[in-house]
Amino acid sequence: MKKKLNASYQFAVVVILMVLGAIVNVYLPWYVMGLVFAVLGLVLALPAGAGFRLGFVSGFLLWTLAAVLVNVQHPSSLPERMAKVLPLGGNVMALYAVTGLIGGIYGGIWLWAGARLRQKS
Amino acid sequence: MKAIKSIFPLICAVIFTYALNRSWGTTPPFGKLLSPFHGFWVNAENPETEEASLELLKIPGLTAEVQVIYDEMGVPHVFAKNDHDLFMAQGYLTAKDRLWQMEFQTHFAGGRISEIVGEKGMGSDQFQRRMGSIYGAEKSFEGMKEDPKAEEALNAYSDGVNAYISGLSERQLPLEYKLLDYKPETWTPIKSALFLKNMSFVLASGTDDLKMTNILRKYGKKVAEDLFPNYPFDESPIIPVGSPIDFKPVPIPAGPADFTGLGSSMSTPEKDPNIGSNNWAVAGNKTVSGLPMLANDPHLTLQLPSIWYQMQLVAPGVNVYGSTMPGTPNVIIGFNKNVAWGVTNVGSDVLDWYQVKFKDASKREYWHDGKWKKTTLRIETFKVKGKENFVDTIFFTHHGPVVYLSHEKPFRSNIPVGHALRWIAHEKSQELSTFFQLNRAKNYEDYKKALSFYSAPAQNFVFASNEGDIALWVNGKFPLKAPLQGKYLLDGTNAAADWQGFIPQEHNPHVKNPVRGFVSSANQFSTDPSYPYYLGWQYAPSERGRRINERLSVMNKINMDSLRGLQNDNFNIRARKVLPLLMAHVKTNSASQAKALAALKAWNLQNSPESVGATIFETWVLTLQDQVWDDEFSADEKVPMNRPAMDRLIRMMEAEPQAIWWDNVKTASKKETMQDIISSSFGASVDSLTKQHGPLGSEWAWYKHKQTGVRHLIPGMDALSRLNIPIGGGGSIVNAATTKTGPSWRMVVELSKEGKPKAYGVYPGGQSGNPGSAHYDDLIDTWAKGDLKTLLYMENPDQKSPRLRKKIVLSSK
Repeated sequence: MKKKLNASYQFAVVVILMVLGAIVNVYLPWYVMGLVFAVLGLVLALPAGAGFRLGFVSGFLLWTLAAVLVNVQHPSSLPERMAKVLPLGGNVMALYAVTGLIGGIYGGIWLWAGARLRQKS
Repeated sequence: MKAIKSIFPLICAVIFTYALNRSWGTTPPFGKLLSPFHGFWVNAENPETEEASLELLKIPGLTAEVQVIYDEMGVPHVFAKNDHDLFMAQGYLTAKDRLWQMEFQTHFAGGRISEIVGEKGMGSDQFQRRMGSIYGAEKSFEGMKEDPKAEEALNAYSDGVNAYISGLSERQLPLEYKLLDYKPETWTPIKSALFLKNMSFVLASGTDDLKMTNILRKYGKKVAEDLFPNYPFDESPIIPVGSPIDFKPVPIPAGPADFTGLGSSMSTPEKDPNIGSNNWAVAGNKTVSGLPMLANDPHLTLQLPSIWYQMQLVAPGVNVYGSTMPGTPNVIIGFNKNVAWGVTNVGSDVLDWYQVKFKDASKREYWHDGKWKKTTLRIETFKVKGKENFVDTIFFTHHGPVVYLSHEKPFRSNIPVGHALRWIAHEKSQELSTFFQLNRAKNYEDYKKALSFYSAPAQNFVFASNEGDIALWVNGKFPLKAPLQGKYLLDGTNAAADWQGFIPQEHNPHVKNPVRGFVSSANQFSTDPSYPYYLGWQYAPSERGRRINERLSVMNKINMDSLRGLQNDNFNIRARKVLPLLMAHVKTNSASQAKALAALKAWNLQNSPESVGATIFETWVLTLQDQVWDDEFSADEKVPMNRPAMDRLIRMMEAEPQAIWWDNVKTASKKETMQDIISSSFGASVDSLTKQHGPLGSEWAWYKHKQTGVRHLIPGMDALSRLNIPIGGGGSIVNAATTKTGPSWRMVVELSKEGKPKAYGVYPGGQSGNPGSAHYDDLIDTWAKGDLKTLLYMENPDQKSPRLRKKIVLSSK
């Protein structure tokens, strides 16, 4: 059976994922966020497709916003230098995008994995 | 099927996370690295505000409270109640700013780079260990431990570094650990010894014996000695000519008979380090203040994080300010209330090679002094990242390690195979005691005593005191040799070729309060040939030394600005001599060459950043040397040879226009003359400059051509480097900024009777090793401009100054 998700439900899921993601990221190693997303995907019984989409949006927003926030709070030449190391031609916007992308795929793949586990039964 | 379908995404997620949690070759762990909560983003540091702040830090092991006040440059001024706490704080604070660098440099010195970068570090690692770097550090550590104060300093420093490491969470790791994906290990006192021994590698491992022997074998002794004379035609030695000798020399050993050896070597390209330094002290009768002044600028590889870290260290009995070397306790170059000191390198020959005759392939015995003697073996294990451990056996004769066996390929082309290395860096030594005592010295006698502990790398220790003394000791442990012993490879079977003891330390060349009113050194010959002992046949070219002495002898009413001016002097003393010789013979054969020649004629002989003349001259001199010597002296890469010095070539231009060396032996049909070579080298220079920078114009500016850069310690990490810095100077210029080397710390000190010295300094870098800090490279622009920062010499921790920023109190509670 295909579950239909309304917009406000989806919004709520993204907010919860971002809040939980932020909390575990601050205190625990980076790979713990994925496990939390998977558990949430399992508990909320999200459809697999929506799982990836919502996980991606949450991870993307969380990592991009956090990166922006760090850079605003601690302005330095480091992002520009890293955008040359990676190499992104020194483009900090591109660095935000790549950071968000990694965070997004990471969030998406785990929420999807959690959601899929539920569909076994 | 359904189960697989459900499990499949989970497997993907795990693989994805695993892949992004680790590095793959040089590809960093992207997940960990990019996470804004864990990765590089976290390394960004706020620029300091003007507001003073106070922070309390707990460091177990301190016996009392230590106050640390940072100034606006990020220099910590450390006030401790005893030496133990002082050195513990030094270790802690240095690690706080420079941990990665400290560990990386000692990993390099100890031949452990392959643990971080994998197999590609193996060549360098094996070379370091075969040269006996760990063996030397162990010996040196033994020596250090004989002085209880040095041992206390080493242990406390080490504890301080470890206190910092143990308080670090993974997300607080310095950026480079995140990029290369590894973690700091526990610091040990022997790492400090490794770092100090590595300075011998940097400064006293130059060796031309193989190349000289190859020349000997090809051209014979007469040519070798004619083209590679043992004292330059133009020189202004460090110890003024005619200085009296205040000791009775010990007998000089007879030395071995001539030995031609096997020479040759399989080769790999070799780096040509352009490393030297300047220092001088002027007497009070030449200064505005009436008291001595001292200046020093050691030239090393320009690197980020910088090789130097400024600190002020205060405890009962000591208040010293200066440059420290991350990884070792004490101030290395600096000043206190009463004295100032500095160092430049001594180019004496303290490294020799002995051709080894093994009994058989097992290499357990070698022939020496008419009998078979046993080799000793040392096993070195290399933990190569991503590979299995590699175990290497090093064979030692009584001389030292056989660095490469006859069939092996050396890491550098100047290292002979099948030879044992005799090197001063393998001696037991007590350098730390020297610096500990210099930090606390009150007068000339204290300085003299401190130097007696020092062995390597030998340095010209310049000194000034507020009692009015200036002095310079060419100081280190020098082997007692027969004249020219070790200019060429030596016969390892002949006992007469062994080092026969050492020159007594009090016989080292020295001068105190000379009549000329100044002492100076710039790596040139220590003395003129009247000095009773043989120290070496080849030193750095004399230009910097001659220019400094020429200037200091006419300078009076000296102040900080005039000495700063001399440190930044761009005058090309070589061009003053060579250019008229070249101009007398050069012929141009195109409009662009004529234009370039006109520009050169109009040149003011200053290697200033914008100078086009400097670019043309320097290129011409290089091309000229290539054209004169390459045909005879670098033909076969398997038989590397030295090239005669510029000093010798100038002599040839002046006095030997008919010398056979002018002819290019590769053109059989034509016999080139001096005029031909001078003209063709000029033409080739202009062509190559036009090809590189377009037609003559502002793109030919000296700094754009020279490309001075301060590079990050990880090779190729341009994003963390500062390149194309607008600075003049050059290798034979007092302002010795070359492409990769240059003045790594500039200091000028004006002493004061009241114990309130005024000092100025800068280095091309910044106090922080963190590329995310404003102090990472904030001193480079000041350095490039030739300015100095006023150094804040504090007398007590409660002193007020608008330059003070944050304060940290360290305590065990």
